Amino acid sequence: MSSVAGEQLAGVPVAPGADPTPTTSVPGVPGASGVPLARRRGFPAGVPGARLLTGRLPSLVMIAVLVLLTALALLAPVLVPYDPVQPVGVPYAPVGDPQHLLGTDMIGRDLLSRTLLGMRTSWLLALVVVAVGLVVGGVVGVAAGAFGGVVDSVLMRVTDMFLALPSMLVAVAVAAALGPGLTNTFLAISVVWWPYYARIVRGEVRSLAVRPHVEAARMAGAGQLRVMTRHLVPGVVPTAVITASLDIGAVVLTLASLSFLGLGQPAPAPELGADTSRGMSELLAHWWIPVVPGLAVMLLSLVANLGGDAVRNLMARRG
Amino acid sequence: MARLRFIAGRLAALAVLLLVLSLVLFVLQEVSDADPVASTLGANASQEAREAARERMGLNDPAPERYLDYVGGLVTGDLGTSFRTRHPVADDIGTYLPATLELVLGALLVALVLAVAFAVSSVLRWRGAGLVRGLLFLGSTTPTFLLGILGLMLFYRDLGWLPASGRLSDRGAVDGPTGLVVLDALLAGQPAVAVDALQHLLLPALALAVGPALSIGRVLRSGLVTTLDADFVRTARAKGLTERRVLARHVMRNSVNGALSMTGLQLGFMFAGALVIESVFSWPGLGSYLGASIPVSDFPAIAGVTFVLGAIYIASNTVADVLQGAADPRIAL
Amino acid sequence: MLDLEPARPVDRGPTDRPVARLHDLRVSLSRNSRRTEVVRGVDLEIGRGEIVGVVGQSGSGKSVMSLALMGLLPASALPQVSGAVEVDGVDMATAPEAARRRVRRLDLGVVFQDPMTSLNPTMRIGRQVAEAAGSPAEAIRLLRAVGIPQPEQRYGAYPHELSGGLRQRVMIAIAIAGDPALIIADEPTTALDVTVQAQVLRVLAGLRDELGCSILMITHDLGVAAQIADRIAVMYAGEVVEEGPALGVLEAPQHPYTRGLLRARLSLETERGRPLHTGLTDAGALDPDAGTDARAPSGTEPATAVEEAVVERTTVSAPARSEAILRLTEVRCEFAVRDARGRRATLAALRGVTLDVQEGESLALVGESGSGKSTLLRAVAGLETRYTGTIDGPPRSDVQMVFQDAGASLTPWLSTEALLLERLRGRDLSRVERRERVREALDRVGLPETTLAAKPSELSGGQRQRVALARATIVPPRILLCDEPTSALDVSLAANVLNLIHDLRRQMGMTVLFVTHDLAVARIVSDRLAVMYLGRLVETGPVEKVIAEPAHPYTRALVAAVPGARRELPVIVGEPASPMAPPTGCAFHPRCPVMQDECPSTLEGIQLVEIGPRADVEARQHRVACVLRGEF
Repeated sequence: MSSVAGEQLAGVPVAPGADPTPTTSVPGVPGASGVPLARRRGFPAGVPGARLLTGRLPSLVMIAVLVLLTALALLAPVLVPYDPVQPVGVPYAPVGDPQHLLGTDMIGRDLLSRTLLGMRTSWLLALVVVAVGLVVGGVVGVAAGAFGGVVDSVLMRVTDMFLALPSMLVAVAVAAALGPGLTNTFLAISVVWWPYYARIVRGEVRSLAVRPHVEAARMAGAGQLRVMTRHLVPGVVPTAVITASLDIGAVVLTLASLSFLGLGQPAPAPELGADTSRGMSELLAHWWIPVVPGLAVMLLSLVANLGGDAVRNLMARRG
Repeated sequence: MARLRFIAGRLAALAVLLLVLSLVLFVLQEVSDADPVASTLGANASQEAREAARERMGLNDPAPERYLDYVGGLVTGDLGTSFRTRHPVADDIGTYLPATLELVLGALLVALVLAVAFAVSSVLRWRGAGLVRGLLFLGSTTPTFLLGILGLMLFYRDLGWLPASGRLSDRGAVDGPTGLVVLDALLAGQPAVAVDALQHLLLPALALAVGPALSIGRVLRSGLVTTLDADFVRTARAKGLTERRVLARHVMRNSVNGALSMTGLQLGFMFAGALVIESVFSWPGLGSYLGASIPVSDFPAIAGVTFVLGAIYIASNTVADVLQGAADPRIAL
Repeated sequence: MLDLEPARPVDRGPTDRPVARLHDLRVSLSRNSRRTEVVRGVDLEIGRGEIVGVVGQSGSGKSVMSLALMGLLPASALPQVSGAVEVDGVDMATAPEAARRRVRRLDLGVVFQDPMTSLNPTMRIGRQVAEAAGSPAEAIRLLRAVGIPQPEQRYGAYPHELSGGLRQRVMIAIAIAGDPALIIADEPTTALDVTVQAQVLRVLAGLRDELGCSILMITHDLGVAAQIADRIAVMYAGEVVEEGPALGVLEAPQHPYTRGLLRARLSLETERGRPLHTGLTDAGALDPDAGTDARAPSGTEPATAVEEAVVERTTVSAPARSEAILRLTEVRCEFAVRDARGRRATLAALRGVTLDVQEGESLALVGESGSGKSTLLRAVAGLETRYTGTIDGPPRSDVQMVFQDAGASLTPWLSTEALLLERLRGRDLSRVERRERVREALDRVGLPETTLAAKPSELSGGQRQRVALARATIVPPRILLCDEPTSALDVSLAANVLNLIHDLRRQMGMTVLFVTHDLAVARIVSDRLAVMYLGRLVETGPVEKVIAEPAHPYTRALVAAVPGARRELPVIVGEPASPMAPPTGCAFHPRCPVMQDECPSTLEGIQLVEIGPRADVEARQHRVACVLRGEF
């Protein structure tokens, strides 16, 4: 556990030019030993971002796309052309059908409507999972890092245990135990997601806490609370925000996998993973039925990754 | 001495983690509304019969006692009885595990090859490195199941190059000692069957490997970049060693640690991904077993699969840790 | 000390041909896609058996020049080289890689600055030497030759299991493998303790005498160069501004830059009563090297950069009254740590320190790594609380501290103004008054108001240390603690900061407790010296007196180890023992040239006792902890 080296996830974000070859890892995360945690989700963090998107403008555009996507998700119920759960046309209408742009499924439900609402669920849920993970993990991480000693060892032992368990498998078991439903899916993923943030935040706080500036602040007469709020936490925010924004894509993919396994909402609800899974039998004759919702997942994850990259580029530029 | 203590420490951690995993599963079992009595006796059994069954199955004992029973069962290889198949879960898993292992090992191999290709090409600035990088990136933003589906459409439906489902064209072709069909076919001296098995394995393994390949490749790449920049590599060059020797003796060993622990971590995702990809390719492994168990809330089966895969995952990470300790004397402290 | 029979007879060829020749060497490197010419037309020849010292401050291009000489310029910086850079007739910039590799293998040996990072951490040191030496037997011979005790046992050790001095000896063993014609030593002693530095310099100087090889010694420290070099080349902004015989350059420098460098340099002869010459850059001006190491403002002639800042400096004499402002009694401090092999161990940082500091005096704590000097300072600051014994002093708000790494001691995301204002919190001051105090504090340390909005990363090294000083003194403290505040700065900047600390002390009447490893610095900043060794005080007394007549053998070694021209390299045995296993009795006894039978078990020998005439004022009393009491 300890050799996963959370301590080494250290440092203030490096200047954008510090590394001659553009690195796509989280800034400030040193290579060999520290990265595993930062990348443990295993899902991508936007490779082309650093090279293709240079300069501020592309980053700002990407972030605008993120905002747009979120707006779309919020407004989806108003935007959809048809009722997503009722058959509204002939079955098996292909993509490009004038009535149904993305076609219909085997019982004639409009795929555009289902996909839009599925995207809404995935996207908003992913945002909530990341936000909750960030808050819970952040509080635990800051507490562990700032207080040190017993508090630190207890909190980090627990965190490490969670981290050492296979998170996706545990999520599957939790979702299966709790039964289908949105709340349960959310719980299943959140339970395995927060320790990751706790580790990163704690590592960052520890590495800041041993910097002389914290002792200098104490010498300057700052009390414990002030040291924490003014000399520690602001230094953690960039890393935490960058980590979180690079993580949204991973949550989207994980949610889709759970849903694909039948651990999402029950049947008629429009959900991307489940829709793909149910459409699998139609693959050879009517490919769009499984592919459209699958592509929607990919779109979300792609946008999330490029957006996360943009956030990181902007923050590295600033910091 | 320090090495031995380090290894002992990792093993102790392994034991603790397995206990924690069992505790998590036990708590989930308690929380879930799965009722073993209803599953065994059917919904129409009388109140008395149910109560007798509860007593017999020890369900009325206090929770700590039941947990100890559960752990005792795990230690002796008893994972409970599946509600669905009515078989011991351990037997079911014994049937399906080899297929999943073969899939994951295949995927691991593909992922490592891709990761090294990505890292080395990008560090040495080969032409085409950007392409590898871009493809891996796109692949890893794609959900595993979609990769499988797209692969099927292209290589099975359109090109007809690769088979769509199962592990073998002829199911009973081999029955070997390892349960890994490719290996068994080779052991049995049937290369044609091995090739057939490989063809079946290729698509699902590739779909499973892309995401982990990028993660591992990235860590390996940044490890290489950091090490190539290190002072001691300059020292090695100043000795007048050939570049190949510098890379082999000084760079590699100091760059692989991150990639190693990342590989261990990725294994967890591969197991989880295997559960998904198996249902795309009708791969007769634990994923298919789990897929059948989930709709009927067969919790013993689900918990059993989670425990076995989780245990394999934790054990592999212990191995990765120990290997790291072997690669870097400073870690084993 | 050296046992260097060449392994094979070496034919050095005609002795008149130089080993290495640099002719109009120009190197430009690209950073952040900006190209800078780092070496700008250097001519230099290194003769057979000659030791050439190249002296320059950071950013002068001296290290890039040495990398060019090895043919190892970092490819990632896309180097462009013109002119000639030949070693043994092979041009290290243009020759085929195989030929250059041959030169590196046979004709060149290299010693880098930091032996910890320059040795492969995952390879046993014996193998690392054998890789260059050809065989394990030869590796062991070399390890023995550079003075590594029990080389057979050390052969299997990893770098992290060795002390800094031993590690650097391993580097030297690698460098001399195959009897090279030229050894390039890039700041080989900068990361080492003073007494160890003297040992390593002796080893290097011995190489020439016994192997007949030439040495290119690259250093920022004129004293080090002066001590072992035959010839010195002074580099500034990528050019050699002066070159000549070592003593000639030091005693009759021709170039204004060299003169500036010499004046700014502190030695044991530097006049104490006068302000230090800061030489090269003006105190208040923005340092041109803020954050970069390419200090080569093109078109700036070195001569124009030299300004002489003359600040009036009157000696602050030791206080006449004898009131202790700070009283330490039997302070002990132990930490639970793990040793190099991962075993639990106790690190005894302080092993019973009793010391009075008088109001208004300036006391320097001097010692090498592991002496406990920094721990003592941190305990006084209240930053270290795991000690036993008592520390009586003013309330914490009256004690301020300046850290070694000023940049790291400033919160990266806060502006200078925010940092200064923070110290005024809780005081009943109007906004205007606060502004006024901040302005005054800035003024005192000689910073322009434009620095108020700047974050630490936007300031130069010297400016950061000034901000740190302004922060410490915006509310005048009674005690100012300084933890090696100048050790990370170039000489001219260091002199600036030392002058500033002196001025602040004079203006505010502060007591100063100054930790340093550098006797020359201690001599300038303090009235009284306290020498520490492995967690104990071994000698205290008026600074001039202690340096002139050191009463403890350790102090004597320290004084002798200060590098400088015309100074003999002293023979010093061993390295400071690990504070995890301090020797019994007088901890210095294993290294002591005058050790007595009772030293390993002595109890009196570790007590400070008065020697010399009894002084009326505590601060003037000379004390030593040695069974010989200075009589040897």
